[in-house]
This record gives sequence, C-alpha cells and structure tokens, in this order.
Amino acid sequence: MALEDVCGFKEKLFSTLEDTTTSVHDYCNLEWKGQETSEKIPHHFFMPHFSQTNFSISRTPSPFGPRDRSVTVRRPFPLSHGTTTLGFIFQGGVIAAADTRASAGGLVACPAVHKITPIHSHLVVTSSGSGADCMLWERILIREIRLYQLRHRRRLSIRGTAKLLSFMLHPFKGTNVCVALTLCGWDKEDGGPGCAKNSEDTSCKTDDSPSGVISSATHSLSPNCGPQLIYVCSDGARLQGEVFSVGSGSPYAYSVLDGSLSWDLSKKEAISLAREAVFRATHRDAYSGNNVDLFLVTAQGWSQRRREDLKEEYYRDMERKAQKQQSGTTQVMTCKK
Amino acid sequence: NKLASQLSVVPIQFGQINPVPSSSAIPSQESLLTSSSLPTSLPFASSQPVPLPFPMSHGTTTLAFLFQGGVLAAADTRSSCSGLVACPASQKILPIHSHLVGTTSGTSADCALWKRILSRELRLYQLRHGRRLSTSGAAKLLSHMLHPFKGTELCVAATLCGWDGGELFYVCSDGTRLQGKLFSVGSGSPYAYSILDQGVQWGLTVAEATSIAREAVFRATYRDAYSGNCVDIYHITSKGWTRRRREDLKEDSKKSEAN
Repeated sequence: MALEDVCGFKEKLFSTLEDTTTSVHDYCNLEWKGQETSEKIPHHFFMPHFSQTNFSISRTPSPFGPRDRSVTVRRPFPLSHGTTTLGFIFQGGVIAAADTRASAGGLVACPAVHKITPIHSHLVVTSSGSGADCMLWERILIREIRLYQLRHRRRLSIRGTAKLLSFMLHPFKGTNVCVALTLCGWDKEDGGPGCAKNSEDTSCKTDDSPSGVISSATHSLSPNCGPQLIYVCSDGARLQGEVFSVGSGSPYAYSVLDGSLSWDLSKKEAISLAREAVFRATHRDAYSGNNVDLFLVTAQGWSQRRREDLKEEYYRDMERKAQKQQSGTTQVMTCKK
Repeated sequence: NKLASQLSVVPIQFGQINPVPSSSAIPSQESLLTSSSLPTSLPFASSQPVPLPFPMSHGTTTLAFLFQGGVLAAADTRSSCSGLVACPASQKILPIHSHLVGTTSGTSADCALWKRILSRELRLYQLRHGRRLSTSGAAKLLSHMLHPFKGTELCVAATLCGWDGGELFYVCSDGTRLQGKLFSVGSGSPYAYSILDQGVQWGLTVAEATSIAREAVFRATYRDAYSGNCVDIYHITSKGWTRRRREDLKEDSKKSEAN
C-alpha cells in the first residue's frame, strides 16, 4: 500500500521497539529507532504505547492498529464529554455551533478553545470527548482526505469521509480513545453548481406541496449531493441525520432545537436558533460556557461567524425578560381598568 | 389525654427489628417529632435493606415553577422499570393537602409512601397546633424524616409546591433541601430546563404558563426514553390546587410531525 511506504512501515522495524525501558522515551520523541531511510517522519505518534510482547511478525502491519490492547496509559483525572456542540441541516446549508470551554475535571482548562475545525473548504467537523484525541484525529483526517484528493483527483464525499474516519478509529475500540465528531459538510458532485440547483428545485417544490411529510422526504433523499451531517464516534457509531448535538450540554440544546427546527428556516433564523441552543446549554451545564463558535457550510464553502461571548447574550436575555415583564404588567393594568 | 394517646399510636408498622424510644431518634428542632409516634417506626440503617430487584433510575420528567398566578407543577405519566414501561398512566404529582402538592421522582414506591407519611404528619400538626404548616416547614419536616435513611437505597426526589408563602422547595433523599423559583427533576429534566429557561418569567398568565409547562414536558418526552405518555398539570393558587385534564402527548407529537 502506498500509504505504508510513505509512512515507512516495515515489518522488521517492530523488533527494535521491543525494548520497553526506552519505549516511552521514544514515544515522546516521536522518532523511529534504527530506520534506514534518512527522513525522520513522526508516524507512530498515533500508535498506542505497548509493552514488551512477542509480535506476530507475519501479521500485516496496519498503520493505525494497536499492538497490545491490554496496556493503555492511565488517565490522570476523570474525563467527560464536557462540551456542547451541535449541527443541523436546513435549506441554506449546514450549521455547526459549539461552545469554547475545555474542562479538566472541575477546572476550566481553557476558556477559548476551537471545537469546530475545518477539514477542507466544504467540510467542517465539531469535536467532543477528549480534547487531545479530537485534535489528533482531526489532523489525521485532514491528512487522509488530502492524500485521497491527490491520489484520485477528486474529493471524497462526506459519507466516504465518515466511513474512513470510522474505520480508522475502529482498532481503538475498547481503549481509552474518546472521540465524538460530527462531520458537517456540503457534497459537490462533479457538476458543482448543478447540485445546488437541484436542492433549490426540491425546496421550491416543497413550498407548493400541501403536506409537510413530502418536504422532509425530498430533502433527505440527497445521497451524494447537498448538505450532509454525519456523527462518528470512537465506539464505532456512524450515523447520518438532520440534527445532532453532542456532549454534556446536549440535552439542553436538543430541546431548544427540536422546538424550532425546520427545513425552511432562513439563514438568520438558523444562526440565531443555533446560538440560542448553545446559550441555553451553557447556562445550565457547568462544563460548557464562555463563547459560542458558529460555522455555516454552503455550496460555496464554509464561513465562520465572529466568536460571541455568551456573557453578553445572558445580559441581553435578562433585559429582554425584564422588558417583557414590564410591558406585560402595564397590559394587565390597562385591562383591569 | 385520650386524644393524645390515640394520636401517638402508629397504625403502620414498618417492619423494624428493634423499635427504639422516640426521643433519641432524630435531632430535630420541632417539638412535635419528639412526642409523636413517627420516630419509633423508622428503621435504622443497621437493619438489612431489601436489595433492589433491578437497577432503578430517576426515569421521569417533573417540573414546577413560580409565577404571578401561583405555582405550576407538571409531570409526565410514564413509570419505567429499566426498559419496561411498567405503567403508562401513573400519577407523579400527588396532592398532600388542599394547598400543597408534591411532584415525585425516584422510586415510585418510596415516593408514594413518603407522600402519605408527609400528609399524615402535616394533618397531625394542623390538629395539634390549629394552623397549617408552611411549605418551608413541610419541606424541613420531610427532609428530617428522610435523614435516617441517608446511605440506604431509598430514592425520593420531590418538589413541594405550596401556596403558604407561594413557595417551591426541592427535597431529596440524600439530604438536599433547596428553595427556588424553578425546578425540574428526573432524567428528562435537562430537556425541560432549556424550554423553561426560555419562557418562564414572573409575569406570565395562567394560559401561557400552562403552555410552557406542557411544551417543556413534551420536549423532554420526545428525547428521553424514560419519559412519555401523558402530561399532568396542577396549578396551585390561594384557593387551593386545581388539576388540568390529563393530555395525551401523542396528539402533540402528531401535530409537530405534520409541521
């Protein structure tokens, strides 16, 4: 396989890694030991640490698999999916939103983290779970997608990307890898603008249709074209859907989204709905907070909204409630008279 | 006093092994407990607890909030036993007396029992002292009664909604007792919290408050597997509690699918 050659994997290399006393040190140094080729490419950073065992050398080495599953690095503190991320599809594309708090146990390790990462111009991924694992796997995914594009001269579809990611994560099932990603993207067929037109046509048709059921059927029947939302998780789940929310704040976000989500939202309404959902989740969930990041993916690519501090949103919400209350009481008083 | 001796008899035996005299049982400021029958009937943590037959969870959605028209309490009606819907039409909001209502979450059996015990104790208080105990007092009473069971497998999480003072208290079998304006308890509570945070304010009318409560329970039942079936809504005012007709959420979900 070409990738193996690029990565420099050769069977006899594993014999040098049997020395366990220095294997942790090497792991940190990210260097091959005793490799004949001159370039020192850090490939094995994604292989989990393994102790001295007898490898079966006849087994074809896969670049992504763990050798010995029984040994894993112990976590220094209990991790949790302390986040709120969400993504949903509507007629104007895909919205991806997330908070920006990274928590480690009870400490806010970083109040300004990027949980939404662009993979390529038409795909954005939201991450949840272990921050380190997510960052790593996002980089691996970016690299693999780019390699695919260079080799096959076309971009991998979102569904293909999800499948690739799922298969890359599969060998780590049962280990402590904790990654829950939502791929939010726009698939373009080779006739790029044609695809966007198709979805516009279907949306025009749905406006005329009498019952709401038909509209949902036509816009979800877009196999390789248009907005796509796929959830991939290190447990092996790979789910396609129209709305996903992941993390400890997800129940709070789900109820806000379920209440107002529909295919026919305008861009402004969709953005404000996503912001409201993240705001409600950060209000109640201790592990979500600080700011909200919003990405919109359309046929033209992804665009990012300026990061907004939710503190301001909270004060605005309080003001709005106070104003409503005042106008409500004046109404009651006039009615009484 | 004949009446006093009658009131001190415990009609219900809780299966305690060694009944202990009352005064040492609970360190409580309220004098009624030292002379009443209740402490003798409480088993202590040293007695053998009955092992739970299956893992239980707070599979429910209940909520309550204060507004200008009184207190509104709402709950779903599904009783689940780890995967089985044991009863699709259970009552999770139990009236305690004419102006006090409690929502229940946790183990249904425990909640039903403790609600009855609480009603009895409040009635006894009313007979002895000639006035009703406030909601805050009722919450304190329940909390102190539950305290000997802390550490056992008793699981009660109740919200007491009363008009005496228009108060809302959350009492839990691990000892929590909180006063607040808005509570939601159970596995479906995060889903309900968002909707309530969006809409609840002091100045709501009764109709608006009812629709927000129903929407919140509906959203929770939509996403939570352990909540569902129907919604019960109780409204408590100075005149007492009133109960809305139970509404099946199937119609609500059909309406939202069609939208």
